[in-house]
Amino acid sequence: MTILTRANFALPGTSLNYHTGTWRVQKPQHAHASAPCHGVCPAGEDAQAYLAALEEGHPEQAWRILVSANPLPATTGRVCHHPCESACNRGQYDQPIAIHLVERWLGDEAIRHNWAYPVERPKADAPRMAVVGAGPAGLANAYHLLRLGYRVDLFDQLPEAGGTLRTALPPYRLPREVLDAEVQRLLACGIDFHPNKKLGRDLDLDQMRLDYQAVFVAPGLQQGKEWSIDGVVPSDLHSGLDMLRDWISLGVVPKVRSAAVIGGGNTAVDLARILKRAGAAEVHLITHQSLPGDGHPLDVMSAIPREIAQAEEEGVTIHANRGVRRLILRGERVVGIEMVRMKKIDRGAGRPERVAFEGTETVLHVDQIIPAIGQALDADGMHALLGRAAHFHADTWGVSPLEGVFVGGDAREKSGGSVTAAVGDGRRAALAMHRHARGEANPEKEPMAQIIGIESLNLHYYEHAPRPDEPMLPAEQRRGDEEIELGISAEAVRGEAHRCLSCGNCLACDNCWTLCPDSAVLKTREFASDGSHYVFDYDYCKGCGLCAHECPCGYIQMAEDL
Amino acid sequence: MTTETHIDIAELRKKQPRFNAIDSGHRACLGCGQALGARLVGEAVGPDIIVANATGCLEIFTTPWPESAWRVPWMHSLFENAGAIASGIEAAMRAQGKSTKVVAMGGDGSTFDIGFQALSGMLEREHNVLYVCYDNEAYMNTGVQRSSSTPHAAMTNTSPPGKARMGKRHLKKDIVQIIAAHHTPYAATASVAYPSDLRKKIRRAMEIEGPTFIQIHAPCPLGWGHEGHESIEVERLAVQTGLFPLVELERGELTGVMPIRQQVPVTEYLKRQQRFRHLFAKGDSRAAEELEHIQALADHNIEVYGLRGEGVDRFDTEGSDTVHRGGQRWA
Ligand SMILES: Cc1cc2nc3c(=O)[nH]c(=O)nc-3n(C[C@H](O)[C@H](O)[C@H](O)COP(=O)(O)OP(=O)(O)OC[C@H]3O[C@@H](n4cnc5c(N)ncnc54)[C@H](O)[C@@H]3O)c2cc1C
Ligand SMILES: Cc1ncc(C[n+]2csc(CCOP(=O)(O)OP(=O)(O)O)c2C)c(N)n1
Ligand code: SF4
Ligand code: SF4
Ligand code: SF4
Repeated sequence: MTILTRANFALPGTSLNYHTGTWRVQKPQHAHASAPCHGVCPAGEDAQAYLAALEEGHPEQAWRILVSANPLPATTGRVCHHPCESACNRGQYDQPIAIHLVERWLGDEAIRHNWAYPVERPKADAPRMAVVGAGPAGLANAYHLLRLGYRVDLFDQLPEAGGTLRTALPPYRLPREVLDAEVQRLLACGIDFHPNKKLGRDLDLDQMRLDYQAVFVAPGLQQGKEWSIDGVVPSDLHSGLDMLRDWISLGVVPKVRSAAVIGGGNTAVDLARILKRAGAAEVHLITHQSLPGDGHPLDVMSAIPREIAQAEEEGVTIHANRGVRRLILRGERVVGIEMVRMKKIDRGAGRPERVAFEGTETVLHVDQIIPAIGQALDADGMHALLGRAAHFHADTWGVSPLEGVFVGGDAREKSGGSVTAAVGDGRRAALAMHRHARGEANPEKEPMAQIIGIESLNLHYYEHAPRPDEPMLPAEQRRGDEEIELGISAEAVRGEAHRCLSCGNCLACDNCWTLCPDSAVLKTREFASDGSHYVFDYDYCKGCGLCAHECPCGYIQMAEDL
Repeated sequence: MTTETHIDIAELRKKQPRFNAIDSGHRACLGCGQALGARLVGEAVGPDIIVANATGCLEIFTTPWPESAWRVPWMHSLFENAGAIASGIEAAMRAQGKSTKVVAMGGDGSTFDIGFQALSGMLEREHNVLYVCYDNEAYMNTGVQRSSSTPHAAMTNTSPPGKARMGKRHLKKDIVQIIAAHHTPYAATASVAYPSDLRKKIRRAMEIEGPTFIQIHAPCPLGWGHEGHESIEVERLAVQTGLFPLVELERGELTGVMPIRQQVPVTEYLKRQQRFRHLFAKGDSRAAEELEHIQALADHNIEVYGLRGEGVDRFDTEGSDTVHRGGQRWA
């Protein structure tokens, strides 16, 4: 090339010799934050992560991400109350992502294709752990122990694994072929399941402590709570929980014409629904608590809102904010009850109090009263663990007062009383048992990145789009065990993955790469080690903050850099 | 979490899947809309071009002697003659039988005002040149003096608000219509807040044999008085309010607009910028009147260009920059 000397000229791209990065007083950094869906999931699932894998077209990988926390997605996708969706940032934009339906679809796909759980069979000489109770807590615990390399003996007093999922969850909500498939696939990962073994009868906790590295005890709550009105109980009293179990295992319940079910939880609602299916003309559900979305937030029916709505569709009459005053007896037989309106209100005592309103008494004629007011722990063989308490007292790691014994699930006081809470307890306890075996201490809380709120997202870059409707079995066709909620299509699932805002995690949208006026964001798939596809070139980044401002996902944060 | 530092960034820079006509190390202000605009233009025009650049910010910040940020042949002569220089280069290329496209670039001062006759001549002689004007609405390089592009009521150093006036007295010159009136094959407006639309228009202009013109609205944090990180947000408001319509004109006829899905009140745009601060002075009735005036100008634009969208359009002001995982948005 002829070099011209008469005029000023410069060689191409020589501005690179000058590092405008020296101007900078703040610098952009990739900052992973936890999406709210992840932050609130009792099982610890990271929905953002598996939605991202799904959107990239990798459903099996999405399922693996999901089951790295919760091994029962086909189940929980059906029965979880999905707090993830209440927390989902998209809910404040238009409608939350239908996370539970995505979860369910992934769980079903895994069963359909027999995708292998991400576990290896334990070594023949691996240390042994024991798990008592094969409900969701025990199953999750056993699975995570397996993932951590242990051999696991799982015991249950019943002939089959599944816990309350099997004994009390009606098949119209959780078809047994789904539960069976998921539990079987899980056990087949290498868990040694020992049915018909009851702690306190066939097993002794002290002996187990000697035989195993650690023991996880998750017996759930198997007894209906006792109930009376001022000491009076009907002569033919059935517990709601027992009736439900009979219906599920035997397919029968005592015939009634009209019944009042007392309680506001899942058991009460499910029982009311099966009484309808069994032919009762009138089924009333009476609860102190308010309907969802009504009344004091701390005093709402604990049953899942969509189950309450379906019960009403099926003809159950719900009397919320109502208490039973007395039983109306003819001889020994119940012929009705007297109810009164009541509500929890603030009367200045510091905490809300339940108040009955005089003059609102009404009489309801029914021939059967069935309490379903909660469950209690069957403490056989666990007295050393329990002391005089009604539940196990333990932190979220499940550490009990007995060295080497860990507890979780419904039987742990602060667990949460749900399937996903039980799964989360099982998972965390597995980590704690692993640390115990290695002589390590537990951190105070499970580490979790800061949860990102919607105010940290740049919503301009998203489009409104509706959440899919889930097809439902019409109320008049709900007679027996047919599943009511029918799930959504693969296409709708992909649509949900596409709708996800990717809160706190790079969407690989190219905004930063495209908009940086200084070309200081470089694109690379190979070298970005943090899950994004980009790196900053700090030699030239002036720290203007534009990339951080325009990142839709809140994945770029500016930090002082003086 | 920070990104890994042990990778060879300089090598990575060479492998970027786009053509950078200007590289890093240029001396533009933080968040400069013109620097972004020039890079976006470069991506769309590709390497086979020669640039004739008028005096102004772009020229200054890309070529601090003895360096240059340019990776294409580039030439600067004067403030007023980019159109003439480009015409000459194009004639020379034609004489040599070369197909290299000539791209002229200038600020609004050089385009609307001082270089206008050279540009008009270039159009009239039908040179095969793409002329790109980076419109930051004042003479920024010399310290923010008003140009004929400065919008009505904006404060500059030569249109200060005071007793006599509320900022610039006159209106913003409608340059794209004047260009179109030359019977130009293609004249369009674009915004750095809508990069895909911008590059699409540049590519369209590049395909045309003959003179074409693109006016790119480019926020200037220094001259407009906003923070560098707000450039895109402020610029997007210029489009969403209707104050800067995105239009395409072919042979003088309107052939395309970016519909506004949801018109934003002009105050949303104005209040983000110090150059309009005086319009928000409490108790000054002139300020209220000017705000109404500017709103009327926006409404007028929307009406004459038919900018109001009908429902949701993938290419309207809300849909055009929707992101997708994997970046397909910018294709
Ligand atoms: C009718 C009903 C409906 C429900 N609906 C929902 C719902 O829709 N969504 C939801 O999230 N939750 C629901 N729940 C709650 C949910 O079922 C429980 O929170 C969950 O099953 C608790 O899991 P777990 O593993 O702690 O206990 P469980 O599932 O109860 O399992 C405990 C297991 O331990 C075994 N066991 C007990 N004692 C011993 C012993 N001494 N030796 C050996 N084995 C023993 C039991 O046989 C059982 O298999 C419902 C509960 C009921 C009763
Ligand atoms: C004939 C002439 N008059 C004045 C100047 C001084 N001058 C250099 S750049 C400039 C302003 C450029 O403004 P504009 O074209 O809008 O570009 P910007 O810097 O805003 O990008 C002026 C007045 C000059 N270089 N030549
Ligand atoms: S939008 Fe996506 S990442 Fe954000 S909370 Fe909802 S599901 Fe999670
Ligand atoms: S946009 Fe570019 S220069 Fe500005 S902070 Fe981000 S990387 Fe740095
Ligand atoms: S702007 Fe887009 S590509 Fe850049 S970090 Fe944010 S999400 Fe990732």
